[in-house]
Amino acid sequence: MSFKLREPTPKLTKPEKHLLHHIPLRFVHMRVVGGGGKSLNMELPLIPFIDFLITLVVFLLMSFSASGELVAQQATIRLPSAEHTSQLEMSPVVSIDRNVITLDGRRIVDTPSLLTSAEAARIEPLVEALELKKRQWTMLHPGTENPGIVIFSVDQAIDFRAIKKVMISVASAGFIHISFAVNSRGG
Amino acid sequence: MAGIDTGGGHGGKKSVNQELPLVPFIDFLLCCVMFLLVTAVWNQLARIQTNQSIAGTPTVAPDEEPPVRRRLKVTAAGYDIIIGTDAPQSIPKNGETYNVAELHTRLAALQSSDPNRHDLIIESADGVEYHHIIDAMDVTAGAGLRDFSLSPIPMGN
Repeated sequence: MSFKLREPTPKLTKPEKHLLHHIPLRFVHMRVVGGGGKSLNMELPLIPFIDFLITLVVFLLMSFSASGELVAQQATIRLPSAEHTSQLEMSPVVSIDRNVITLDGRRIVDTPSLLTSAEAARIEPLVEALELKKRQWTMLHPGTENPGIVIFSVDQAIDFRAIKKVMISVASAGFIHISFAVNSRGG
Repeated sequence: MAGIDTGGGHGGKKSVNQELPLVPFIDFLLCCVMFLLVTAVWNQLARIQTNQSIAGTPTVAPDEEPPVRRRLKVTAAGYDIIIGTDAPQSIPKNGETYNVAELHTRLAALQSSDPNRHDLIIESADGVEYHHIIDAMDVTAGAGLRDFSLSPIPMGN
């Protein structure tokens, strides 16, 4: 006894669109297919966005300045402004505010104690710390003479009596060139 | 996304339309903006460079006559310009403010009287606030006396 498999007869249908034709809601179907209604696709306006970003990058690059890295601004120090200035250079920074005098952030002496006497005396801890800085610089730069520059970052209301004692101490340690940090008024 | 459409690609040929990859470019620009914003320093710090003038320091050869010392003294009453052993030229304060304009005029005249010299020694009395000394140094540099120095101790005549 033999069985012969009969091939199923393919159902012949009229050619038509197959994709997306079974969406039941007519208005959704029309939107999805894109016929008869506004398409849901949106074109983002990227070119003006890129123009804006490029303008921002150029502005930030032009206003980029590394001078703020050399002298860390302290909240207790309001620097004076000046017009005839030059660029800051890397040097030891002596900061003087109403309360304390620091060298590269390390406390040296209290400011009120300096203001008690008018005597032009040097500050021994500052001299020692600067001489140490000088020796370290010589070890790091053998065969090169120390430029002897120190940056003063001083609050604008400080009495000159305190500054002159710091200047005498700085000169005693061999730093005779002084850079006074100021806010540039643009000149 | 942006693209370049040349209108070709018909008749079985490969389309020459190109799609520009703008999203990585936008990512790169945003990274640049973030980096620059984080590292931005908005205050423009600068310096006024000066030397310390130490009393008694020899600056000329022994057989040469030392130049006339020119000094500017900042006091609580105003400015004093002292040339050598002459009497001080006083510029009193206008009320509570220092007369910076008059100081600039006098220093510019001093500079033009001897254009080859650019030196001036700035001194200050005790009790003068630091920003007044900075103003004096700024005006001095603006008047052309670039080689000014600051003396911690009054030099006297």
